[in-house]
Amino acid sequence: MAQAPSAHVLHQRVMTRRKIKTIVLSVVIFAIAILYVFPILYMFLSGFKTEYQAVNPGLFFGPTLGTYQKVLSDASMWRYLKNSLFQVLGATALSLALGVPAAFVLVFGKFRKRSTNGSMHAWFITTILLPPVAVLIPLYTWYQKFSLDKTPVGLLIAYVGFNIPIVVWMVHSFFSDVPPEIIEAAEIDGCTRMQQLFKIAMPLVRTGIIAAGLLVAVFVWNEFFLAFNLTGIDHATLPVYMSRFREQQGMFIAQLSASSTIAILPAIVLGWMTQKSLVRGLTAGAVKG
Amino acid sequence: MRKKSDIPFALPAIIVVALMTQIPFLLTIVYSTLRWNLARPDLPIKFVGLDNYLFFLNIPHFPAVPEFYSIVWQTILITGLSLVLCTVTGFLVSILLDNKVPGVNFARTLMLGPFFVMSTASGVIWKTTVFNTTFGWYGVIFKALGMTPVDLVSYHPLFVIIFLFWWQWMPFFVLVILAGLQGIPVELNDSMRIDGTNWLQSTFLVKLPLITNHMQVAIMLGLVFIIKEFGLILVTTAGGPGTRSYTLPYAVYMQVFNASNVGRAGALATITVLLVLITVNVLYRSLKKRGEAVA
Repeated sequence: MAQAPSAHVLHQRVMTRRKIKTIVLSVVIFAIAILYVFPILYMFLSGFKTEYQAVNPGLFFGPTLGTYQKVLSDASMWRYLKNSLFQVLGATALSLALGVPAAFVLVFGKFRKRSTNGSMHAWFITTILLPPVAVLIPLYTWYQKFSLDKTPVGLLIAYVGFNIPIVVWMVHSFFSDVPPEIIEAAEIDGCTRMQQLFKIAMPLVRTGIIAAGLLVAVFVWNEFFLAFNLTGIDHATLPVYMSRFREQQGMFIAQLSASSTIAILPAIVLGWMTQKSLVRGLTAGAVKG
Repeated sequence: MRKKSDIPFALPAIIVVALMTQIPFLLTIVYSTLRWNLARPDLPIKFVGLDNYLFFLNIPHFPAVPEFYSIVWQTILITGLSLVLCTVTGFLVSILLDNKVPGVNFARTLMLGPFFVMSTASGVIWKTTVFNTTFGWYGVIFKALGMTPVDLVSYHPLFVIIFLFWWQWMPFFVLVILAGLQGIPVELNDSMRIDGTNWLQSTFLVKLPLITNHMQVAIMLGLVFIIKEFGLILVTTAGGPGTRSYTLPYAVYMQVFNASNVGRAGALATITVLLVLITVNVLYRSLKKRGEAVA
């Protein structure tokens, strides 16, 4: 005869069922995540293979640093790396230096017409929608004419122009959260606009500025279209270097893997470190506005 | 009182942005009305009105539709399907990642990775280590199962491109949608449990309407970024075979650098921008309306 289970046993059964559910869910989530990023993981592994080992897909092998040595002893790799670093640092710094003050006066500035703030903001936002093909032809002809394709500065200006709107868009929403009374009080106390910006407003929106800067850094690091079309071989960046592997039908997999690891790791690490502020910046900039 | 001291704060930004984006775009529109071929410096640059547009838009032999229209269709197909895939799977994965189980943060971080990978790198990695019929995982697994792997890059170029767009952009959708899900107050979950809603009801009837704003953001930004993608197409299918995987941006590039035809490239670029602006506008309005209807 089966006895009715006591309350204690029932409770235990519910708990075990919940525990099993948690474990199953955990395993499923992990399986999906690993499968999803498998090509990246495999690329990371293959960088430690010799070309001979890399011909056949496999996960177990004797690792070697030889391929990395070979890739890093290639002077052109260093040139691309250096160019990328220059563009990222330069474009991020300049976009922030020009974009943050602009966003500040778009929120707190007073212009002759009240509507100026809003219309300037809208102007910056619509620029984000403009695909780079829309500007390719004039920029290409200018760059040829003024030899801008033979200096790194040419590409840099283009990056600054394309990324200022992104900075304005993200930082604007953070400035909008600052109570205007704080800025007004500072003004009454005799702060100049410059002091209001640097001493009061900027420290309050630090998260937003950092998020915007990181997003711009990742975008510039990964940008291909302008880098490919507007620079000569001496000033091209890493995405252009990676695109050269497109002709090699399944050859030099180890070398490709080591190179792409070097090319994508900085952006992934930067992105991972900052995902929290990135989420805040993106959703604040967009969900409200 | 200070009168115009605020302008200098915004002026440098406005000048650089105008010089690099808006002025070149206006020039592109001007170029689109010219007969101008970079490869033929002997021919004078001449005003031809709308000839360059008509060259693409004309349907001379009616049932045979010119290449331009298939390129527009491919652009719509690639962008539309990748956006739908990103939205649906992005939402489902976000629901999964919204569970508080051990290691979920690590899994989320891992899955975010592809979003930060440069498109030329993800293109060559997939093409050589997965899709290659001899050396890639796809080829090896298919052969092990006794099947003959088809070369996907040549025979199903649109599938490959849509798949890779989806792979690269789904993490971004998860990033935004998950932020929306985690913004739903805990009390709501509790009251749903008390009211006895099942999983389907709570997911699609309660949570989904609450995050329409976040969905809208993800779709709009996804559209803006996916439509201008160029590198991924260049390194995987190079637009081929023929023009079967061209998108409008890719066609503009080919008109400039292969055909050296500035006028026609200008017309194509202008059409591209018009289509993008119209789509974004329509999408924005319809999503806005739906959002208000729910709220």
